[in-house]
Amino acid sequence: MTSTTEQPLDGTIPQRRTLHDKPRVLSPAEPLHQQLSDRWADPPGFFGWFRSLQNDALGGRIMGTAFLFFLTGGILALLMRVQLFRAENSFLSPDTYNELFTMHGSTMMYLFAVPMLEGFAIFLLPFMLGNREMPFPRLGQFSFFTFLLGGILFYTSFLFHAVPDTGWFAYVPLSGPAYSPGLPLDFWLLGLGVAEVAAIAAGVEIVIAVARMRAPGMGLGKMPILAWAYLITALAILFAFTTLLIASLLLELDRKIGTQFFNPNLGGSVLLWQHLFWIFGHPEVYIQFIPATGFVSTIVPVFVRRPLLGYNYIVMALIATGVMSFALWVHHMFTVGLPQIAMSFFAAASILIAIPAGIQIFAWIATIWYGKPIWRTPFLFVMGFIITFVIGGLSGVMVGVVPFNWQVHDSYFIVAHFHYVLIGGVLFPIFAALYYWIPLFTAKMLNERLGKWNFWLVFIGFHITFFPMHISGFLGMPRRVYTYDAGLGWEIYNQLSTIGAFILALGVLLFIINFFYSLRAGDKAPNNPWGAGSLEWGTALPAPNYGFAVLPIVHTRDPLWEQESLYEGDARLKAMLEDLDQWPLHWRGVDHDGAGARPTEIFHVSGPSIWPFVTSVGVITMFAAEIFTLRSLVVGGLIIAAVGLIGWHWPNRIETTERELEFERKHDILVFPNGSPIVTRWSMALMVLLLAICTSIFVFSYFYIRLQQPIWPYDRMPLPDLLLPGIATAALAGDGGHVLGEPAHWPAQRHGEPARRSADGLSAGRSRGTLRLSGPAPGAVRPHDERLRLALLHALHLRRAHHRGRHGPESVHPGVGVGRPLHGPGTCGRGHRCALLVRGAGPLADLGRHGLSVAAYGVRRTWCEKNPSCQTQRHMNRAAPPDAGVIAGCGSACSAGRCSTASTSSRATSLRR
Amino acid sequence: MGSCNSGLPGSRRRFRITLSLALSMLAAAGCNGSASVLAPRGRAAMEIADLWWFLFWMATAVLVVVLLFLAIALVRRQGQQADEEAAARGGSRIVIYAGIVGPAVILLLVFSATVWTLTKLRSPVVADANVIHVIGRRWWWEVQYPDAQFATANEIHIPSGQPVRLVLTSPNVLHSFWVPELQGKIDLVPGAVNTLWLEADEPGVYRGQCAEFCGVQHANMGFLVIAQPPDAYAAWLEQQRRAAGTPTDPLAQRGQEVFLNANCVDCHTVRGTSATGNLGPDLTHFAGRRTLASATLDNVLGNLGGWVANPQHIKPGSLMPPADLTGVELQALLAYLASLE
Repeated sequence: MTSTTEQPLDGTIPQRRTLHDKPRVLSPAEPLHQQLSDRWADPPGFFGWFRSLQNDALGGRIMGTAFLFFLTGGILALLMRVQLFRAENSFLSPDTYNELFTMHGSTMMYLFAVPMLEGFAIFLLPFMLGNREMPFPRLGQFSFFTFLLGGILFYTSFLFHAVPDTGWFAYVPLSGPAYSPGLPLDFWLLGLGVAEVAAIAAGVEIVIAVARMRAPGMGLGKMPILAWAYLITALAILFAFTTLLIASLLLELDRKIGTQFFNPNLGGSVLLWQHLFWIFGHPEVYIQFIPATGFVSTIVPVFVRRPLLGYNYIVMALIATGVMSFALWVHHMFTVGLPQIAMSFFAAASILIAIPAGIQIFAWIATIWYGKPIWRTPFLFVMGFIITFVIGGLSGVMVGVVPFNWQVHDSYFIVAHFHYVLIGGVLFPIFAALYYWIPLFTAKMLNERLGKWNFWLVFIGFHITFFPMHISGFLGMPRRVYTYDAGLGWEIYNQLSTIGAFILALGVLLFIINFFYSLRAGDKAPNNPWGAGSLEWGTALPAPNYGFAVLPIVHTRDPLWEQESLYEGDARLKAMLEDLDQWPLHWRGVDHDGAGARPTEIFHVSGPSIWPFVTSVGVITMFAAEIFTLRSLVVGGLIIAAVGLIGWHWPNRIETTERELEFERKHDILVFPNGSPIVTRWSMALMVLLLAICTSIFVFSYFYIRLQQPIWPYDRMPLPDLLLPGIATAALAGDGGHVLGEPAHWPAQRHGEPARRSADGLSAGRSRGTLRLSGPAPGAVRPHDERLRLALLHALHLRRAHHRGRHGPESVHPGVGVGRPLHGPGTCGRGHRCALLVRGAGPLADLGRHGLSVAAYGVRRTWCEKNPSCQTQRHMNRAAPPDAGVIAGCGSACSAGRCSTASTSSRATSLRR
Repeated sequence: MGSCNSGLPGSRRRFRITLSLALSMLAAAGCNGSASVLAPRGRAAMEIADLWWFLFWMATAVLVVVLLFLAIALVRRQGQQADEEAAARGGSRIVIYAGIVGPAVILLLVFSATVWTLTKLRSPVVADANVIHVIGRRWWWEVQYPDAQFATANEIHIPSGQPVRLVLTSPNVLHSFWVPELQGKIDLVPGAVNTLWLEADEPGVYRGQCAEFCGVQHANMGFLVIAQPPDAYAAWLEQQRRAAGTPTDPLAQRGQEVFLNANCVDCHTVRGTSATGNLGPDLTHFAGRRTLASATLDNVLGNLGGWVANPQHIKPGSLMPPADLTGVELQALLAYLASLE
């Protein structure tokens, strides 16, 4: 296995066709390179750092920060290992030890693994998907600062001598107000709460990037596995982290406001926390694991010179893993005294998840089977991953076996098990990915010799550390003990573990040395140094900030291996991309794609801004102030955040120029200089999804507590008034229905030529495909119904998408959730002031409007079916769609500060100007 | 090796010994005298240990197969010559048979074994007299014998060869009751009542420990399960039921005065005296216990002195405050405590 043959990696295997047409990369000397770089460059200087949002820079920062947290968490672990080296050791006090394991677990789970993987996504996805940017650069920027400041806030607990000490799952009642008074648990709940907000923000961005922003031709079936993995992970993040946020909120309310959700003496439930926590906590493990397997699926084919076998199986396995991960949280609770039938069900679910894992393992083995391994460091780490993860997976199946679980639960066996899956299953692939992708951005190869030392130290150190823990667990050693008696026979195993931990740490140290060494003196990496087949290696090295000089057209899963050229394809598409090469690149344009093959629009992503940072500071201030119960400062933070949000979304109008219009006409594609309405709508859908998850968790908690009580209401407490929650829920449902149901017709109608557009399939393409969130299939809705509904919706709140397009790139996204100008023809005279008013009014107004619109639609439709006079209305709608004229005209006029109710077309207005 | 498995029927022992030889490390886990899951002394733990060995061999077989597959895949060289179609067909075959069918069969077996063991672990019929209440305290165990109407601490006496039902509750935070040699663990959940049945085949002392993190002294929240032959157990019950006698030794008498006049009585009960505190362990038959401070120290005079003088030194964060006593008073107090047979 230690073969040190340095096979050249630029060679390809004989039967693999390679690009005869080399990817077009620009040399630094070319003026276009300079032009593009300048266009996409982040602002320089110290203050520029706070405004920068370029995906590779941000991704790198997130990863760097996460890596620092990883080192911190690792040092905490080493301290613990020193304490446990000897029985009855007094190196650490019990308090300190309990703080350390809490900080270690929380750091690794919340501040290292998830941000690290999200950082990778932001770093890589635009390159991998053949696009220029992530959909919401400012959201990424917000995510980074929130994560960084949240992590710092969490660690300031050391300065206040208020370090959390109840473990990473913070079980109540120990973490409740009675047994953990003071600040520590508030630091845990609120400090990590901020980091969770950051994780969700990045998750939203990743979902949309993968779902909507891929190179032309890259259908779902041609996406890299890693993109699939990130799509599934990011969706899981939305579900899981939202649950944790709600759980944290409930606990914080218990601690600060005096609610009793978790107090069994006053009608609450201790197990509710455990359920909520593990509904988050178990998927959390897979949130880390799924992208890690994505790394492996990317790296294995490259180092055996063979396209991945079993692509479809792997995709199915990933989806199955993502879904099933939400159905087995109870295996963390087999010892709390649940009914046997429930435990049997969850045991079955828990061990069943081994099947998707098995599929993936054997798909990799099959790929290796038909290839020839090249033993470089990334491949070594992948091999280490497979061996270690299989062991961890097998002990995972054991842990799902209820009676066995009763013995080993909360013992060191579990500690061994989850380190096998988290270090073996996640950290090893992360190292593989670092060795593999760092050259893409530094253009320097990491040193191979140091890399091999790094691997072997980490691999051997890992097994020396964690294998003996299985045995100390069998010997009765529980988790989280700061000391143990000498006579129990645990000492030798703990000594082994401690020695192993230091070997492991040495390996990690070598990585850091290797990284900095390579920056200074590493070999220069040629383009596509590994001879890989995926798109990101089709750029120049170091990967330029604008991504691809000419956007590629994708026909296969491994374009660099299997395509003759990256630029051949459908003639119209080709013509468009060639024009794109010359023109919209003068702004930060990215194109985006439907589920199928063709680009559907080109839009301008937002540029550098200080406001996401301000918002982030506001959010941190709120959370930090709440830790100390400084309510006025909380309000201060709220104001800062609100100001930040307003600034962030401040209309930044760029007029569509004649050149862009010409491009639109020539290539039959929509060009949005002010951001994408479709992406915006997706983000709105995700926002609704988030709110729906929150609502579901509350409903779950309510019924859980209620069903636990023999007598309800508890202690004759008055039941909550259902009116307001009812209205809110109805509004939410209406909103969801709206976002899901609204057809994607409006952009087509911008030109007043819906028929042609539908005919050539562009609009249809947008609403087609497996990942469609855009409502019923085109054929399923009767046209007059659709027309009527559109008319009603628009009468109620205008064409939001149009306005979004006009009013700024990120005027609506999950950061705010609203931003749809409410002004109708008569009220929009004040320009964006009225828009701001609505933005400030918050999601409630928005949800209310949606509820109303849906209700009105229902009433109208019922009425219409009975009333013949409605026919005329239908006819009118069909003849002169209101959105093409009056309303669009208003939007445009509005943005000019004037109001016009005349039915001049928006286009005419802007052209005149 | 055989000695540590003496409690097992012969065939099982031979089986176990074979395994032990093959797997020295795991065998060591079963055989070095400490409380081990793999050296079961009770029926429930034995069933689970059998299940473990089944799982272990399954897992070993799977691991070997996967690694063999991987090793062959890495060393074989014909692979590269296969054309795309052949590779895709072969790949699908590998994924379907080795990745789906194989695991499905194995998991079905594992699940069957799970359910089978679960049925075997159903609670047997337990005599009313053998119901014991265990209450998780911070950081010690209160043990109540409702039938015999007395309470003790950190030592659970049970009759050997008979199933016993434990009724476990916690008035404070979560704890988890675990005696690896006898039975799997069960949590003590505030607001809920959990039960667990135990049976020790042979008389003996089995160490247990709290397994759910419960605060600063979670690590030192141990206990002993002491299985006695039924007649010895009955005698023990009889002896425990009695109130504490009046000390005859003058030093101990002096100690009783110290005890009753100090803040000890706020937390501790000695039946037959005016001490009726209920925050700390019942001390009525304290001297009969084997350990101090939740199985942290042996119950000998030296340890006791250190513990009473400053519990914070031994269990930092413990809820017992240091005793504010002079040396003479302490001497007397220790003599009194030692007299509480």
